[in-house]
Amino acid sequence: MDWSWSEMLWVALISICLVFVVLVLLVWIMKFFGNIFVHRQAAAHADKPATQGQLHEEEIAAITTALKLYKSDLHDRESEVLTILSIKRAYSPWSSKIHGLTQMPFRK
Amino acid sequence: MWTSLTSNSNFVGESLLKFADSTGIAGFFAAMGWGNIVMIGVAFLLLYLAIRHKFEPLLLLTIAFGMLLTNLPGANLYHTELFAGGHVHWDIFVAKAGLLDYLYLGVKLGIYPCLIFLGVGAMTDFGPLIANPKSFLLGAAAQIGIFVTFLGAYAIGFTPEQAASIGIIGGADGPTAIYLTSILSPELLGPIAVAAYSYMALVPVIQPPIMRALTTRKERAIRMRTLRPVSKLERILFPLIITVVIALLLPSATPLVGCLMLGNLMKECGVVDRLSKTVQNELMNIVVIFLGLTVGATATAEAFLNFRTLGILVLGVIAFGLGTAGGVLLAKFMNLFSKEENKINPLIGSAGVSAVPMAARVSQIEGQRENPGNYLLMHAMGPNVAGVVGSAVAAGILLSFLG
Repeated sequence: MDWSWSEMLWVALISICLVFVVLVLLVWIMKFFGNIFVHRQAAAHADKPATQGQLHEEEIAAITTALKLYKSDLHDRESEVLTILSIKRAYSPWSSKIHGLTQMPFRK
Repeated sequence: MWTSLTSNSNFVGESLLKFADSTGIAGFFAAMGWGNIVMIGVAFLLLYLAIRHKFEPLLLLTIAFGMLLTNLPGANLYHTELFAGGHVHWDIFVAKAGLLDYLYLGVKLGIYPCLIFLGVGAMTDFGPLIANPKSFLLGAAAQIGIFVTFLGAYAIGFTPEQAASIGIIGGADGPTAIYLTSILSPELLGPIAVAAYSYMALVPVIQPPIMRALTTRKERAIRMRTLRPVSKLERILFPLIITVVIALLLPSATPLVGCLMLGNLMKECGVVDRLSKTVQNELMNIVVIFLGLTVGATATAEAFLNFRTLGILVLGVIAFGLGTAGGVLLAKFMNLFSKEENKINPLIGSAGVSAVPMAARVSQIEGQRENPGNYLLMHAMGPNVAGVVGSAVAAGILLSFLG
């Protein structure tokens, strides 16, 4: 494509204007739909009776974070006493080690 | 036996010579062999940046490896002559094509960038943009860099098609840059993809000085009003509205915007979780591998080692900087007409270049530097995702003029 400088300038100018036109159009459309939804939400809130003690989302998030921080600071309490238990069992041939091993054949 | 062995010494010598000629090492001594060595060095540098410094590793690693493969003499994985003149030479394709030639068809036919957009759409939350549609304007302003660079590239001797492909680097959107370049000037695909992804990785280095230079401390400390909650119905309607409006106004941008919005609809509707997860993970990862490898493969020594590449790298960073400045300046301009409670922190304007979510994170970090209690991230995500739509629109407009 062989274009002159004036053509290039026009294309650049028209292009940037078109980008703005398309996106401004999208702003208007989204604002229009947004207004409808905001009004609907406001109407729905107005219809609902105000509940005493109902918490806002941000308050719930703040309480949850505080609880998480508090609980992560807590540690399980342990007795802090280390013991070694000595286990003694009465002798029995059933648990005897020497009887559990294969005997080497006796050669003369 | 000795006589028969010595009588064939000529044959042995010739065979060894033939074998030596067929190795890749001999290729380094052929014409442009030094270029291959340099390109292999560039590939290693990019691999180092991706692995050691985590510069966009998902793409830079595969691009660098593709670059390495294509510059190993004798590997014959990619043939530029099959795609010479901007179209696929089907008559010789099956006879000559290597693995990367087959994979490159996905780039050439514009399939991979659209599939990537499908995944991007499924991963993107358009909530901040729906809550504050004015963000679209910041996304539009950040595209100014594309068109100024378009003129700059033409001024230094690039054709209009090449100038458009270079300018789109300013949109900071890899798939869009690859899509437009593969159609308008496929010969520049390698350098443009490398420039686009490198600059995206360098967003935290390139943007902050420009943002600070164009704003006052008071402006950087502006706290913005909390965004309104967005209902599920709005989230579902958004991709449908955008697809219909853009497709009607700019049919050439439909493949990109349509895929982006389809991905987003899959995420927001909540009834196709399996599809949504697939496009976000498996499909996205597979396409990233193919795209990176094949785009890297186009960076042959002949295509890369020239002054044009240097020009592309310089113009790319200018495009990026101008886009950043455009977004910040428009935010300042909008503040002139806004009430005190509706003022915009100009730092979020810089997020209008796509580079999701890195550019939004930079706005957040810069905002907190001035006022540690200021959380700009969600506000910056609005212009950030608007930038994705904006750069796709800009690409569509350039395609309709030049395609």
